[in-house]
Amino acid sequence: MGIIYADNNATTGIAPEVYEAMTPFLTENYFNPSSMYEPARGAAAAIAQARQEIAGHLGVTDAKQILFTSCATESNNTAIVGTAKANTNRSHIITTSVEHPAVLEVCKDLQRSGYDVTFLPVNGDGNLDIRQFVRAVRPDTLLVTIMHANNETGVIFPIEQLSRLTKETDPSIVFHTDATQSVGKMPFNLEGEYRHVDLLSFSGHKLHAPKGIGALFIRRGTPCRPFMIGGHQEGGRRAGTENVPYIVGLARAMTLAMENREKEEARIRRLRDRLEKALEKKVPCVQVNGKGATRLPNTLNISCHYVEGEGMLYQLSAHGICASSGSACTSGSLEPSHVLRALNVPFTAVHGSVRFSLSRYNTEEEIDRIIEVFPQIVANLRKLSPYWDNKKNTPRPNAENLFHQSR
Amino acid sequence: MVWDYSEKTTRLFMDAVHGKPGTHLGEIEDPDGFGEHGSIVCGDAMRFTFRVERHRTDPTKDVIVEAKYLTFGCTSAIAASEALCTLIDKGRYTPIEALKIQNKDIVEFLEGLPEQKIHCSVMGAEALEAAVFNWAQKRGVDLERLGIDVHADEQEEGRIVCKCFSVSEPYLRRKIKELNLRTIPEVTNAVKAGGACMSCHHVPGGLQDLLDDTWGSGEGSQRATRKTSKAGADVTKEEPAVSPYQFAKRIEKAVDQYIRPMLQKDGGDVEIIDIKDTLVYCRLHGACAACAGASRTLKMMVERTLKDMVDERIRVIEVEV
Repeated sequence: MGIIYADNNATTGIAPEVYEAMTPFLTENYFNPSSMYEPARGAAAAIAQARQEIAGHLGVTDAKQILFTSCATESNNTAIVGTAKANTNRSHIITTSVEHPAVLEVCKDLQRSGYDVTFLPVNGDGNLDIRQFVRAVRPDTLLVTIMHANNETGVIFPIEQLSRLTKETDPSIVFHTDATQSVGKMPFNLEGEYRHVDLLSFSGHKLHAPKGIGALFIRRGTPCRPFMIGGHQEGGRRAGTENVPYIVGLARAMTLAMENREKEEARIRRLRDRLEKALEKKVPCVQVNGKGATRLPNTLNISCHYVEGEGMLYQLSAHGICASSGSACTSGSLEPSHVLRALNVPFTAVHGSVRFSLSRYNTEEEIDRIIEVFPQIVANLRKLSPYWDNKKNTPRPNAENLFHQSR
Repeated sequence: MVWDYSEKTTRLFMDAVHGKPGTHLGEIEDPDGFGEHGSIVCGDAMRFTFRVERHRTDPTKDVIVEAKYLTFGCTSAIAASEALCTLIDKGRYTPIEALKIQNKDIVEFLEGLPEQKIHCSVMGAEALEAAVFNWAQKRGVDLERLGIDVHADEQEEGRIVCKCFSVSEPYLRRKIKELNLRTIPEVTNAVKAGGACMSCHHVPGGLQDLLDDTWGSGEGSQRATRKTSKAGADVTKEEPAVSPYQFAKRIEKAVDQYIRPMLQKDGGDVEIIDIKDTLVYCRLHGACAACAGASRTLKMMVERTLKDMVDERIRVIEVEV
């Protein structure tokens, strides 16, 4: 048996169709789309067509509002820093405590240079309190940047409502959303229910295009200074020679994702739900993080009390299963995932999280295989755990306090 | 959109379109001065022609005796053209004297123009200037020697900053100074640049950069953003006449005495989540929240009642928790 790849929120495999669409632009059609001679026209036309295609999938009529970048991180940096630079008379930013670092750290950096940042908390399910959001909006708020779907838990924030509330309060406030995990997985209409969103970031490698390509939707008229300067490309809003093959790949990947979205979504949701139910049933003392919230259909973040995530990943890997964890050891930092801490996952479970994230390439057999091996993996670690009573297969009496004292 | 034109503006426009005697619609055949400004692509264009009484020996002493225009544009564009010709008629100017007529003279003559329509008066002044330059060329008058800037540098094609209205950098730089334009909206109102796709506002070398170059980055940019935010936030920035505490009390009272009892009759309720200036954030509960007409209820019933009972400027925003 080959590997079972269940870490699609980290990155995805390149779809064969995408690779195929890109190849001509990696080989014979290498021209700079800005050049004047005939052969370069093909490259420029390919970009124009890709832009139109992507705009179409997002419900955007005027494709010029789509900008190509190198990744979602660049898109997020452009959106946040660019907005701050263009609105020098305001100094307040609203974001959440569960953002991806590409947003969170940029906001913290602005905070260090004098901006006032509100980090909205989430509840135990991972949901925002809309009341708190409303109260956070101020007359000097310049930007609201809130992710669409969380990369760790898959929890979806009600961006339609949050952006509407923002714009109804003050149309000068810019609304940005990091939609890296949801583009390609959810339907979007930026001229319909998402019409209040000014800026939207995403990248290719989460939807079976290669790494190194991202995009940013900038609604016409949004005050946002460019981040990359030094060329006329992308209407002067993002300098740098266009990455033609990757742009073509992104468009192809998006079309593939959107073509069969509904069918695939139903199938992936079924696989995820089956995995979730089976693990909840077979492994004692687990909790599904974000269970009470609306979630992406492909994501399962499950915490096993009294065990450590890295140990689970290591064993999963020995079975050829690729997943990830929010544990401290896996990230190289000393602290477990900021997202799980924001959800107030109890300290007995915060280190023991595993995230399975599926794609359209996962099969029933693969899910069966994970269900087959995972309970044993947890049991193996619990056997070693000082907090676990192996005879009764429950936590030892007073285990929570034991853990607490040892800290 | 209905513009707030002065009576004089609308009257000049009506007189012009009805060809009333004394108006200046038309084109002089074989004119002594011929000038154009604008283009149909940009939404307004003007052709301005004049005839002079030639001085026998010194062409600089020619006197303009007739001026006419053909204008494609809105009410104020036509009124501004009419105003320009009337001003010239009255003055019996030499062409060089006529150059002193500026857009603000046109605005004054019209008894004011809406901010967004200032470009109409600029168009008049530009067409006049072009016509005078044309006259000078025909009559062999060296304007530069008379100390008049004929913007020779602009004849060479400058970089186009605003692609929508094809406005060049040298022209923008000159106009920003001449007309004392401090903010992007002011630039747009005066010369239309940046008024369509707006992509030239904040790009390198764009309008903001030209403004910053001219005036320094502090004042110009700050004024610009302050202005937009003021315009954007409309009612919210106007403080209610009473203290925020009193204001909130009044809203609460209206909700308790009138709104809540009405909703409760239908098995619903309303929660006030926050009040910011005149914005009231409400959440409908119970039967009302599930009702398909929830948004309508909030707007028609809650908002209307609060407007009537507390303050006409109140706006209700629906919150779903």
